[in-house]
Amino acid sequence: MKLGGFAGRILIVNLSTGETRYEPLDYGLAEKFLGGLGVSLKLYYDIVKPGVPPLSPENPVVLGTGPLVGTDLPATSRVYAITKLPQSKAVAWCGGGGMNFGCMLKNAGYDNVIIEGRSEKPVILKIFDDEVEILDAGDFWGKGVKDTCSRLWDTYGRPTGIITIGQAGENKVIFSMAYIEGAATMGRGGLGAVLGSKNLKAIIVKGSKGIQVADRKRYRSVRDRLLKTMREYPYLKEWQELGLMKSLPFFPMDLYKKVKKRRLACVSCPIGDKDVIEIKDGPLKGTVIRSTSMINLITPMVYGLKDYREAIKCVSILDDFGMDMFEFFGVLSFTKDLIEQGVIAPEQAQDKIKVDSLESVEIWAKKVCFRQGLGDLLAGGFNAILDTFGDMARPHAPYIIRGMLPYTGPRGPLPWELFGTMELGQSLDPRGPHVGASGSPTYFARRPLDQFPRHLRRMGAPEEAIERILPSLGSPEDEESLKVGRLLTYSHNWFSALGSLGICARAQINRFYNAETCSEAYSSVTGIETTKEELMMKAERVWNLLRIANVREGFARKDDTLPDKWFEAPPFKNYVTMKPITRQDAERMLEDYYDERGWDKRTGIPTKEKLAKLGLE
Amino acid sequence: MKRFLIEVRPELCTGCLRCELACSEVYTGAFNPSAARIKVQVSDNECSISFTEDCTYCGICVDHCFYDALKKRLEEKA
Ligand code: SF4
Ligand code: SF4
Ligand code: SF4
Repeated sequence: MKLGGFAGRILIVNLSTGETRYEPLDYGLAEKFLGGLGVSLKLYYDIVKPGVPPLSPENPVVLGTGPLVGTDLPATSRVYAITKLPQSKAVAWCGGGGMNFGCMLKNAGYDNVIIEGRSEKPVILKIFDDEVEILDAGDFWGKGVKDTCSRLWDTYGRPTGIITIGQAGENKVIFSMAYIEGAATMGRGGLGAVLGSKNLKAIIVKGSKGIQVADRKRYRSVRDRLLKTMREYPYLKEWQELGLMKSLPFFPMDLYKKVKKRRLACVSCPIGDKDVIEIKDGPLKGTVIRSTSMINLITPMVYGLKDYREAIKCVSILDDFGMDMFEFFGVLSFTKDLIEQGVIAPEQAQDKIKVDSLESVEIWAKKVCFRQGLGDLLAGGFNAILDTFGDMARPHAPYIIRGMLPYTGPRGPLPWELFGTMELGQSLDPRGPHVGASGSPTYFARRPLDQFPRHLRRMGAPEEAIERILPSLGSPEDEESLKVGRLLTYSHNWFSALGSLGICARAQINRFYNAETCSEAYSSVTGIETTKEELMMKAERVWNLLRIANVREGFARKDDTLPDKWFEAPPFKNYVTMKPITRQDAERMLEDYYDERGWDKRTGIPTKEKLAKLGLE
Repeated sequence: MKRFLIEVRPELCTGCLRCELACSEVYTGAFNPSAARIKVQVSDNECSISFTEDCTYCGICVDHCFYDALKKRLEEKA
């Protein structure tokens, strides 16, 4: 039987042997793990041998798109990569707004691509319908992300979907990322290095097979309802204009208007929030950059760069090399402190580190990207620095979780002091500390608790769980009025549902979807009749699989790190009472999370009963 | 079927391909940008929007554009 929505095939590429072949997608797998994030994770879990090092040929990368990707349901474009990442050494998902890539991959006839082995020389994987080729990367190797994309488009035309790495990935910088068409990033925990270790510079896709849905009439009714709500949304224009900046009231809007050149959107997205930005004046005039969000472009100002044009230029340099800004600035500032503290001798650094000077940042970006001098150590991230300088360095380190910098926190680069799901989630994420909305009402906002049940129902949380999350709703509020750990469980499940279907999780999209719409969309597209409850159970199954994939690698509660520095002044604050959060408070939230999940509270490992219930034994 | 003159404003186009998805689905029964009768190409500096010869000027693509890059003109196409 052919299901709707799915392309129905998996492409398997072995870079060591040069062999490419495809297999039919096992529909049992799709039924059990929904698609996209879920199916990719299961494929990875089944083929990887536990214990393989992230940068070895034995660590495969599984790319995947969900069954809704390629349809015109709003913002269904997500692309996922599952692999073991070098920063956290855990099995993790990397995801990005798929631009053209997801739609093109599906149209080429593939739901997933499994990339195994390591090529002897640098290559580009070309997937144009049934024509799959491993091409010599030639002089693409050594080029930045921007150059690589524009030359590929010049050769193959638009729209061609492109995933590429920059020189940082080639040189296996531990915080190098992969980029989708220069406008979306994937895997700041080192997906770039994983692809670089395989000598895979880029993947290009184009397809013309078409994607059919199972029940056109029912599909149209779900779609039209969604589109109507979006059209009638009073803030539509504002969201289209400002994107994520709308949720950050402190953002300098005039500045944005000055540099905005074009809005970009992933395929099918009615509220696109990607930008082409151009510096219009001054010595950096003419610099053009694609960005996932203007917010990122001015982040270097947090580190002291005074001029927004210099900040934009700085991000454009890092993006072109293909490495994560937060980690880069994190290790650079840390190294600077270690030099000031006398732990590292200034001669070792050769060039002075000034994080507030574009010139200095550029020098150091090059040193890290090309692993020159002390840059080689920085390219190994916080762990490499701590391994080298040990106890002398430790007291000067910032917050660190799984070797990476959690970027929201009272002293994080994105300063935020309320301890909600996004903050606790930084400890539980196998990728290392990432932040994401996942539809949670605590995302960069302090919403009153009585608004929570509506959000939670939308995210598919059952009524009895809502009572556990908000045990004293309607009574006077105290520290225990909001159970952040329990809430995070449903926030993760909701993310897992969206990711497996292929829907973007960003706030402006997420808000229009609810569990019921998702199950209706999934049923009408695939023909697999799925209730809201079934959908959320499968999403929960996917999240549990992610956990057991990591338990198999030796991860457990001990790795769900709550950094000591989180509890020093200035501390995080309780979401309801604004009282400082203590370590005990945070530990309790972790335990609430495990408990809500049916995991062992001591070890953080899913119990046998839970796994049996989810059909994961 | 009603037919429209379609005005394009490439400077507002985001490359979301909603127009191509809708057109291809209506006329071929499958979402397939390569089979759409409207062709959109967006780069950082330029955008071109054109229609193939078999475009029927039905205006469905316009209904699916959220960014005002396509507009139906009041007078119908002859
Ligand atoms: S909201 Fe942004 S990331 Fe999400 S689909 Fe739209 S353009 Fe892509
Ligand atoms: S007017 Fe109709 S036929 Fe022409 S491109 Fe638009 S949807 Fe297709
Ligand atoms: S729907 Fe509108 S914005 Fe999107 S690609 Fe077509 S013309 Fe451009």
